[in-house]
Amino acid sequence: MRYKKTRSTVLEPDMTPMIDVVFQLIAFFMLVTNFEQTQADERVKLPSDQLARPPEVAREKVLVLNIGFHRDKEGAKLDPQAYIFEGDASIPILDFGRRLLEEKRVAQALYGPEGNTEMTVEIRADAETPTGLIQELIKLAQENGFEKFSLRAKQIVK
Amino acid sequence: MQLRKSNVDATKIETQMAPMIDVVFQLLIFFMLTLKIIPVEGDFNINMPLGQQATESPDVPIPPIKVRLTANIDGSLAGVQFRQLNLGNDVVAFDRLNAKIAELIGNRNNPYLDELEVEIDADYNLHYRYVISAVSACTGSISSQTGNVIRYIEKVKFAPPRRPQ
Repeated sequence: MRYKKTRSTVLEPDMTPMIDVVFQLIAFFMLVTNFEQTQADERVKLPSDQLARPPEVAREKVLVLNIGFHRDKEGAKLDPQAYIFEGDASIPILDFGRRLLEEKRVAQALYGPEGNTEMTVEIRADAETPTGLIQELIKLAQENGFEKFSLRAKQIVK
Repeated sequence: MQLRKSNVDATKIETQMAPMIDVVFQLLIFFMLTLKIIPVEGDFNINMPLGQQATESPDVPIPPIKVRLTANIDGSLAGVQFRQLNLGNDVVAFDRLNAKIAELIGNRNNPYLDELEVEIDADYNLHYRYVISAVSACTGSISSQTGNVIRYIEKVKFAPPRRPQ
């Protein structure tokens, strides 16, 4: 039996359109990704207000505190107690004084003896958090030398 | 002039695309996984130093403008009071507060504008969203014509917490 001899050819697909599309996608994701708000906790349902505008100059020395409730998938509260979320840990607000003392020491080590007074405590609190607990938290922070506070809210456009 | 004929054949240089595509896909996957869609957030600044010492200025300090927020048992708003004046607890209560603050500061050339301070005194169990609305109503409004923010009072502080008995 005789075989017909054929020349083997390497098929080279045109990669240019694919690379074009992939670069477009990378550019899109790079622009959309916001690395500044990586400390924001999704469990916190912020209040919204039309006057809440992002600061014109991004702050350098910031301590972000996420305050919220443990909720189920439908958003119903599983526990009436409000907590400060730190990664997977949940700390009751009134027990947060010790952590604030540690934060004060870290701020002083990083930015000098006045580091804690220059630092802004950014409060990201759930809309249903009792105001008294926010006031208690501010008081605990004041006792540790923090003076600047900012209350975060979602921006709404009417 | 005679041109010398080159014996070298024109060869097509083929770049290795595989490593580049590998890296590009890695980048694409990284950005896709780190993408977190978060609504735009803004904030309200509050300066509250503890035990602030009295200044040596002979001028009598202007007392803060008191805004009282009362709560129902479930944490909803029971009422807004501005200098003993009840502004109600409906959806426009904070609009009324905003109008009162605008009326108080008068025009934008008020020389005492920078010294004015609002003290928010809220019930312990009041939901935080109402405090944000009150802070917003005191700090400014949005111009209906231009859409720009008109600033009223920048200094806002909280009264000591009213702990439940």
